[in-house]
Amino acid sequence: MLNAIFDFLCSLVALIPMECMKMRFMQEAFLGVLLLAPLTAAAGIQVVNFRMAFFSDAIGHSVFAGVAIGLLLSISPQWSMPITALLVGAGIMLMKRCSKLSSDTVIGVFYSAVAAAGLALISRNPNVARDMQTFLYGDILTVTRGEIVYLFLLSAAFYLFEFFAFNKLMIIGLDEKLARAHRIPAALYEYVYVGLLALIVIVAVRAAGVLLVTALLIVPSAAARNLASSAGKMFFLAMATGLFSGIAGLLLSAQESVNASSGAMIVLAASAVFLASLLFQKKG
Amino acid sequence: MMRKTENVLAEHRNCACCQDHPVAVNVQSLSAKLGGVQILDNVSFHVPQGVCTAIVGPNGAGKTTLVRAILGDLEHTGKILFRQKENGEFSEKRPLFGYVPQRLQFDRLLPLTVMEFLACSFQRRPVFFGVSGAFRKTAETYLADVDCSSVRDRKMGALSGGELQRVLLALALMRKPEILILDEPAAGVDFKGEKLCCELLETFRKKQGFTQIMVSHDLSTVAAHAAHVVCVNHQVFAQGDPEKVLTSRALMDTFGLHMGMVDLHSKCRTHVHACACGKGEKEC
Repeated sequence: MLNAIFDFLCSLVALIPMECMKMRFMQEAFLGVLLLAPLTAAAGIQVVNFRMAFFSDAIGHSVFAGVAIGLLLSISPQWSMPITALLVGAGIMLMKRCSKLSSDTVIGVFYSAVAAAGLALISRNPNVARDMQTFLYGDILTVTRGEIVYLFLLSAAFYLFEFFAFNKLMIIGLDEKLARAHRIPAALYEYVYVGLLALIVIVAVRAAGVLLVTALLIVPSAAARNLASSAGKMFFLAMATGLFSGIAGLLLSAQESVNASSGAMIVLAASAVFLASLLFQKKG
Repeated sequence: MMRKTENVLAEHRNCACCQDHPVAVNVQSLSAKLGGVQILDNVSFHVPQGVCTAIVGPNGAGKTTLVRAILGDLEHTGKILFRQKENGEFSEKRPLFGYVPQRLQFDRLLPLTVMEFLACSFQRRPVFFGVSGAFRKTAETYLADVDCSSVRDRKMGALSGGELQRVLLALALMRKPEILILDEPAAGVDFKGEKLCCELLETFRKKQGFTQIMVSHDLSTVAAHAAHVVCVNHQVFAQGDPEKVLTSRALMDTFGLHMGMVDLHSKCRTHVHACACGKGEKEC
């Protein structure tokens, strides 16, 4: 059943009149980008509102610890990575809320400690150390069907959450005190959001790598902020920017004349849109 | 609980300034620290229902901290009791608040329109699917009431200080609060705006019947509009009718820090007693 759906979707993607789209892995990568790019862009809106770019970076770097923990406990990194990311996210939020340190400091300390622990463990095992390149640079072209299904389910969960929480998150992002005075349980919303964000970041690391994952989140949103005249337009513009740069980056990367990493090309395309948005941005 | 209520009422009867109005909020021995510094020290006072109570004091006196404690946004010792609408009993359960913060510090580049901002607090449908026609109509009448119709489709970041205060006031009024708390509503607003703001609040108070708590360091506004005044400078220096409190030496004590702290403390007790016994300052 699932395979039949995939075959049908791939045959649709194959209609794109380009040489590279004839290959099955490109068709599946395309499906992955169709899901991932708008999802990271939508999640990125609140990353920018809450000034959480550094936070998402920290989650990205937790993949090293995730892989290491997987090795130690001999569980598949598919499970150990998202669980570690969730724990790191919750840990940062808890420390941020309970300590008087600035969030930058909390994240900085947490992030380095987790990344260092992961790297230390991994470096003991040269075979795994070589595999870590996949996480540093990412590779959307090797995305599996299972990962696409996971991405689909995660997207459904995230959009459902946004449907109910977007308004509240906007108020919390604007002024948390005002939100709490209006009986919005700010901490609860933030924890759920951070949990979903952690899961999204981990999938995005597969596509763009630890080094570029934050760009997938914040660049479309930053471009949309420049162009949009309202929050509603910003939401859809960010998703459109994400989708456009995702597709453009993937297709460009597959051209023989370019032949570059698709994650990097996607981020470059998004950055180009951002630069263009600076030229066309509305005042007032 | 019964005894507590009796205490509240007994104290209330002793206060000459508000015999016409029942007590809405009773603050008992409230103390609060911020970053290890004692900001509020054993503060006790009450707020009469359905009228405007002003909390006055110099900068850094702990007025905003007091507001945060009332809103339930700050750890504190002591009790804050609210008269419950259903049975008239006092309990710590917080009523529906409207809150106008002193300053909304937010990201001014966020493309959120005034209409969307208002909708975020009331509308279930996420604002990226638009603001409903019915809500738009209600919001427009409130914006017209606060004399701010022209800004409805402007971005929040493009508002002037005065316009922002009015939008926040419209938001607070739309909640149809039991208690409306305004933290320095006149700060950043010109004289005409300030007078208009107070008159407007009086009209709305008569219409909606809420209890108003207004933090201010502007004594002329207080004298003209408040029915009950509480002088705070880390402690309560006096409370009662504005005519009594604002002409008394307590005011000098509250604001005239140059007189020296030792002196202040001894005088402070006299004045608290003066109000609590209901005999006025002279007899104490």
